[in-house]
Amino acid sequence: MKRAFIAIILAIGAFPFVALAQDKVIRVGVLMPISGPGSYFGVMGKEGIDLALEQVAKSNLNGYRLQVQYEDSACSPLQATNTVKRVLDQLKPHIVIGEECSDASLAIAPILEQAKVVQLNAGSVTMKLTESGYKYVFRIFPNAEQQSAPLVKVAREKLKAQTAVILYEKTNAGNDNAEGFEKPFVAAGGKVLAKIDFGRDVNDFTAIATRIASLGKVDVLPTFALEGQQVRLSQALAQAKVVKGGGGPGVQMGSIWLPWGYDHKAGQASVGYVRIVQFDPNEKRKVVQDFVKAFQAKYGADKTPTHINAHAFDAILLVAEAVRRGAKDSETIRDQFTKFKDVEVTTGKISFDKKGQNSDLSVVHFVETQPDLSWKGMSWQ
Amino acid sequence: MTDFLTLIVQQSVNGVYLGCLYVMVALGLTLIYGVLNQINFAHADFVTVGAFTAFFTATRFATKALGMPDTGAYLLSLFAALGAGALLGWLVSVAVFAPLRRSGADELRPLIATIGVSVLLENGQLALFGPIPYQFDSPLARQTIRVGSIFFSAQSALVVVVSVAAIAALYAFMRFTFMGKALRAVAQDRETAGLMGINESLVIALTIVIASALAGVAGALLGPVVVLTPFTGASLIVKAFACVIIGGFGNMEGTIIAGLLVGIIEAFTVQYLGSGLIDLVVFAMLLLMLVIRPTGLIAERKEENV
Amino acid sequence: MTGGSTRRRGIAFLVAVVAVAAAPWLLGTGYWRGILVLCAMNVLLALSLNLVMGYTGQLNLGQSAFFGIGAYVSTILIKTYGWNFWLAAGAAVAAAGLVGVALAAFAVRLRGHYLAIASLGFAVITYQVLVNWESVTQGVRGIYGILPPVADTVALFYLVAGLGIVVYFLLDNLVRSPVGDTLRAIREDEVSAAALGVHAAVWKAFAFGLGAAIAGLAGCFYPGFVGTLVPDAFGIVESFTMMAMVIVGGMGTMIGPVIGAVVLTFLPEVLRGFGELRLMIYGVALTLVVLFMPGGIVQAWVSLKNRIA
Repeated sequence: MKRAFIAIILAIGAFPFVALAQDKVIRVGVLMPISGPGSYFGVMGKEGIDLALEQVAKSNLNGYRLQVQYEDSACSPLQATNTVKRVLDQLKPHIVIGEECSDASLAIAPILEQAKVVQLNAGSVTMKLTESGYKYVFRIFPNAEQQSAPLVKVAREKLKAQTAVILYEKTNAGNDNAEGFEKPFVAAGGKVLAKIDFGRDVNDFTAIATRIASLGKVDVLPTFALEGQQVRLSQALAQAKVVKGGGGPGVQMGSIWLPWGYDHKAGQASVGYVRIVQFDPNEKRKVVQDFVKAFQAKYGADKTPTHINAHAFDAILLVAEAVRRGAKDSETIRDQFTKFKDVEVTTGKISFDKKGQNSDLSVVHFVETQPDLSWKGMSWQ
Repeated sequence: MTDFLTLIVQQSVNGVYLGCLYVMVALGLTLIYGVLNQINFAHADFVTVGAFTAFFTATRFATKALGMPDTGAYLLSLFAALGAGALLGWLVSVAVFAPLRRSGADELRPLIATIGVSVLLENGQLALFGPIPYQFDSPLARQTIRVGSIFFSAQSALVVVVSVAAIAALYAFMRFTFMGKALRAVAQDRETAGLMGINESLVIALTIVIASALAGVAGALLGPVVVLTPFTGASLIVKAFACVIIGGFGNMEGTIIAGLLVGIIEAFTVQYLGSGLIDLVVFAMLLLMLVIRPTGLIAERKEENV
Repeated sequence: MTGGSTRRRGIAFLVAVVAVAAAPWLLGTGYWRGILVLCAMNVLLALSLNLVMGYTGQLNLGQSAFFGIGAYVSTILIKTYGWNFWLAAGAAVAAAGLVGVALAAFAVRLRGHYLAIASLGFAVITYQVLVNWESVTQGVRGIYGILPPVADTVALFYLVAGLGIVVYFLLDNLVRSPVGDTLRAIREDEVSAAALGVHAAVWKAFAFGLGAAIAGLAGCFYPGFVGTLVPDAFGIVESFTMMAMVIVGGMGTMIGPVIGAVVLTFLPEVLRGFGELRLMIYGVALTLVVLFMPGGIVQAWVSLKNRIA
């Protein structure tokens, strides 16, 4: 027993040396929530990464290959800091992809900064991540302001909205998005009738819909919540005749983090819903169509990839592209990332700004849900 | 009706319907506590299992394999969920509660043991069904009934009807059947019940089975209105506890009133204070309750025997 | 007290010191050293809960709240008011202790499950206050960039574990003293204890307050260790986790909760290799331990030793 224990300790200790002994490997740590409610992101993220790894393995990366270690960071700062240390010890990564949740992403940033390991984030929207001066943080997900500013523009200019009720989940992401909408909307002369937040454990939205119906005429209802709550929220709003889907005047507006498939789950309640979209499986670009085809070949023809699948997929493509351009360790990956200009992936053409935030929003567009639940693109720019 | 009055009535309707859901979840907890003085922490996960059982019965088995119409399939799924709940209850009774009782456990060990069961069920369902919310559309959830300017879905009407029916059936069982009387006897005084020749183990097993069957039905009712994931039950457990306590542990009438009260408070908190404050208001009320009436809403019947 | 028992406790003390001193070198990576710090915090928490639950017999589901109060009070004093860590920690421990006494005073009339519920209600309300009082706690936005009192993980572990040893031996002396007899008397039969002139209410408040203060102490180290403070770390689930540590180790013994804390901290980490199955295995293990070890690991160990001897 004792001998076995010592053997395990030695094995753990020796692991990094084994890894170092192999030449021409780029080691990628992946922190995803695999347990708990956050696994919603982690499971889809892992699908995207697995698919990307298969494709990358077939291509030439200057003789390098990608070695990946997954850890379950559970959307929690504690678990994320524990697992990031685990990955740093065991894998000695050149880059870490993750986390999906804002709290956990913020918690690992200083640790990776200290270890001089690049953090590539594909899921968090909180402004703080790229505004804190970290040199090794890069994010391909549009941040809260990048999402909210165009939402306000469409609400005011296209939908001629005077009044708004902001609905958001009580999380870092929800808060940032709600604030990102409120400020410019009010500055542009709009009126926010109410800001309604709710925990992720709220199940019934009838009372919230009733309250909104009692507030008078609401033109737009920007909503920042996850798919499950969005569906129930839209149905309750339709029932209370607040939104177009229920014969009311209001237009619900959604963020990039609302995935593909929401409309079909919410049914008629989603008709007239206006949302900002980054990854659109209908987009004609070759990289998107190839991705959709490969995804369906691997995971089933009845599944359509979501933006969560796509962003995770893109994260691996970007690492591979950096290696192709000569990166061979953390520093050179960072150098290549800072030089990225219009690198084409499924969610757009990536260019990182000085803060590490992807500044390209060229594929971001607006769609409106039609009576047959399909999307119709809106011209807005 | 004035707008204000309409609003009050509408939120009350919302609250009653929500309260009925809470009652369905909390009743089983209360029943088990009344008879065993123990808490089944996994109770809310039985609700989730009930919801998934109903989902697969209604949308896969009954409609696809049996070719039943939507509404019939959904009603059938209520019974499937009841069965699944009862089966789980029997399993946990045999595997956890009975052995613990034989080893003379206090009230704490069953609590911790069922926390283990809860973790297992939650993560087992996560492995089986995944974390992405299921869209469980009962045909009733899509129909809105409007009376004047008051509205509610047919599903919420069904929730109220089934809750009332379940409570009535439970009362009839307790009052008119031998097993029901035995159950009450054990709840009131275990030793005397034993002396009267009542098979205590059987009664306890039956209690857990009935309580869990109720949890299963609650799941089938909840499924089409909540966000259905393996974590649905976990989001309800705290509120179910609140109902059980405010109602006075083990007191069925108290739990029913408390459930409705919590539902109504929730609806009006959303209207006038903000949805983020629901738990704060409910639990502040709970503490207040404990100050005013430390024995719960309705004084425990046990006291009559002392 | 016999000389033999004093000597045995002296040896136990030495063993504990050596084990703590050696642990960061046996588990010599940053990750495992981090888990050790976490483990030391959990030991403090389990000890604190055991005093209330194991020795005084008061079912307390609100321990996560005191843990949270310790964490938030110390962090806010340091970050917002620029206090020195130790001063802030002292204030946080005092705050947690006072709130504990207040809760006990409120709950004095309540027994058994009603106390459990009052404490559960208190924990939910505390959590909700942390979430909603945004001007002070930052709510769900969280507080970031919190530094530990000592920069090095090994030093932090020595600090927390050292405090754990001190608390352990203070509590050990306490439960052996007449105070311990009083607490046990309240646990066994409150009415009879009152008949013997014991002020049950006062002693319950004492145990609650002391337990809360120790949990608050553990809370002072949590924010610096993680670097990030969000209310989710102090949800009621944490209370149940602490309770599981006490029960699994052996409630009402001194060493039991320590063992429980070590086992339940390391188990989920050791199981990481099992991926998706990890928490399912954890759940089954928890249930089996409770089923087959009625007095926790400690009693199982004692009866195993007796059977061999």
